[in-house]
Amino acid sequence: MTNYSFRILKAQPARTAFTIGGVALCAVLMLFLLSVYRGVADGSVEYIRHNRTDLWVLQENTTNILRGSSILSTGHGNLLREISGIRSVSPLVFFLSSIRKGERGSTVYLTGYDPATGIGAPPLITQGRNIQNDGEIVLDRSFAAKSGFHTGDIVTLKGDSLRVVGISVQTNMFVVQYAFVTLRQAQSLIGYPGLVSCYLVQVQEPGTVASMKERIREEIPGLEVYDHDEFLKNNIREMQSGFLPLLYVIAAIGGIVLTTILTLILSISILERRRDFAVMKTLGSTHRFLGGLVYGQGLQISLTGCGAALAFFFPMIRLIEAISPEVSTKTSLEQIAGVFLTVSVMSGVSSLLAARKLARIYTLEAFS
Amino acid sequence: MNAHASNGHFIDLQKVSKRFGDNGNGTTAISNVSLSCSAGELVLLLGPSGSGKTTLLTLMAGLIEPSEGQVLLFGEEVRSYSDGELQRIRAHRLGFIFQNFLLIESLSVLENIVLVLRFAGITGSHAIEEARRLLRQFSIEHLSDKSPLKLSQGEKQRVAIARAIANGGELIIADEPTASLESSQGLQVIELLRNLAHAGNRCVVVASHDRRLVEFADCVVRLRDGAIEALEVHR
Repeated sequence: MTNYSFRILKAQPARTAFTIGGVALCAVLMLFLLSVYRGVADGSVEYIRHNRTDLWVLQENTTNILRGSSILSTGHGNLLREISGIRSVSPLVFFLSSIRKGERGSTVYLTGYDPATGIGAPPLITQGRNIQNDGEIVLDRSFAAKSGFHTGDIVTLKGDSLRVVGISVQTNMFVVQYAFVTLRQAQSLIGYPGLVSCYLVQVQEPGTVASMKERIREEIPGLEVYDHDEFLKNNIREMQSGFLPLLYVIAAIGGIVLTTILTLILSISILERRRDFAVMKTLGSTHRFLGGLVYGQGLQISLTGCGAALAFFFPMIRLIEAISPEVSTKTSLEQIAGVFLTVSVMSGVSSLLAARKLARIYTLEAFS
Repeated sequence: MNAHASNGHFIDLQKVSKRFGDNGNGTTAISNVSLSCSAGELVLLLGPSGSGKTTLLTLMAGLIEPSEGQVLLFGEEVRSYSDGELQRIRAHRLGFIFQNFLLIESLSVLENIVLVLRFAGITGSHAIEEARRLLRQFSIEHLSDKSPLKLSQGEKQRVAIARAIANGGELIIADEPTASLESSQGLQVIELLRNLAHAGNRCVVVASHDRRLVEFADCVVRLRDGAIEALEVHR
């Protein structure tokens, strides 16, 4: 049966190649979307995941740092330090700012932290080093590549000149990228030396995180306090709410296109070979066998298309990342298996839709 | 399904008529035909184009139902069979030879035979061995791996006949089996079919417009405008 399905496909090489190409493109689209999603998801929250702390303290009604504005003061830090049972309080400052080099300007998610503690630092430096002093900046790799910045370059930020001392990764949020300066520099740049966005709090006793959370809320009004996992989830949810709907729409369009192409091609194949199908019906074939022939074609097209997609995907990703460095992707075996499974299911649906034509092929056609 | 009907006929048509289309505007393809065919017989349905030969053939094979009258196939009324039973009868007990052979061109000669064996429930190496045996029987084993597209008309007809008897069916239905062949090849084919009927104890029903086949038939049914014009029994 597989043999015959293959022969049917082989008899129309141009059409089969076209169909496999269509399936491959749809599979590449799905793989690409998943990889971009995974890359964005990781890039968006990796910074939070990396800076593991017991508690994140932000302004009331702020749930995340991706799309939330939290304004606190150094006074809040002092109040936190007064609470017994707290080991350390590390302030961070976040704000969007434009970096200029000559005439060119690009927006970054500027992050100020204390290099002495290292809390709030980028997850990974791939080139150069971390900031140590004021007047230094670390840029995200995608941002640096896109904007043409290199280590050693002098960039301008709100009139201040900063030297690029390092390039970081896992700091790409797709639409904007992190950049890192000292806390003091960040506060100076924003023009309010006492301004803080959030505090990373570590408690003395690991078992007291929950109780300490409640205590901070009670003792210092106007704050939101999250444990690390809760805060990470908030940020993931925020990232997904902005990105996933778009991803689903594009993936759904890809799926519909794939199913339509396959259904059309399989239907055409059935109609072109309706005399063969009529002969087989007359000779005693079961409906199941004939349906299996259609399904076999769909499956062979899909699997070959997936194979072609895989061969094409990785070189394409390298090319895209070279052209658009801000596109950060991450591909896993699970994603590939998921796409293969989805394409196989869609080929099954297409086969079922196309195989309905078999019911309208009659044994008498073998005698006409 | 009994091997034979109680009256010994594989096919028994009783006052069968077949109309196509609406009652008012329809055409009558077969009119009031009564006929029976048994094992060991070569029955020739003879008539010009449009005389109703093929319609009668498809009625006899249970591929269509009569508008009036009864068609008994292997002793049972065709209407009483379910679709599944008719499919199994076609797979196990009927063989078909089509006009222009209608071999499946995407498959090799051997695979064409194996396909029919598969429908009859014979698969794997048994099917391949049986298909090779049949091809040997018709002296065409050397064509096993060839595409039907590369065969001569005579070779195609031999493959078609091998395919028709592959499932061991007792009833062979042949629609214009000599129409695409040269004169000498046509006579060889009808001799082969007669041999299948007599030596193989099968019932072979042939629809043809070729009058030269008359001398080979045990029973000749002359058709005109869907009705039996004459019935000649030679044996």
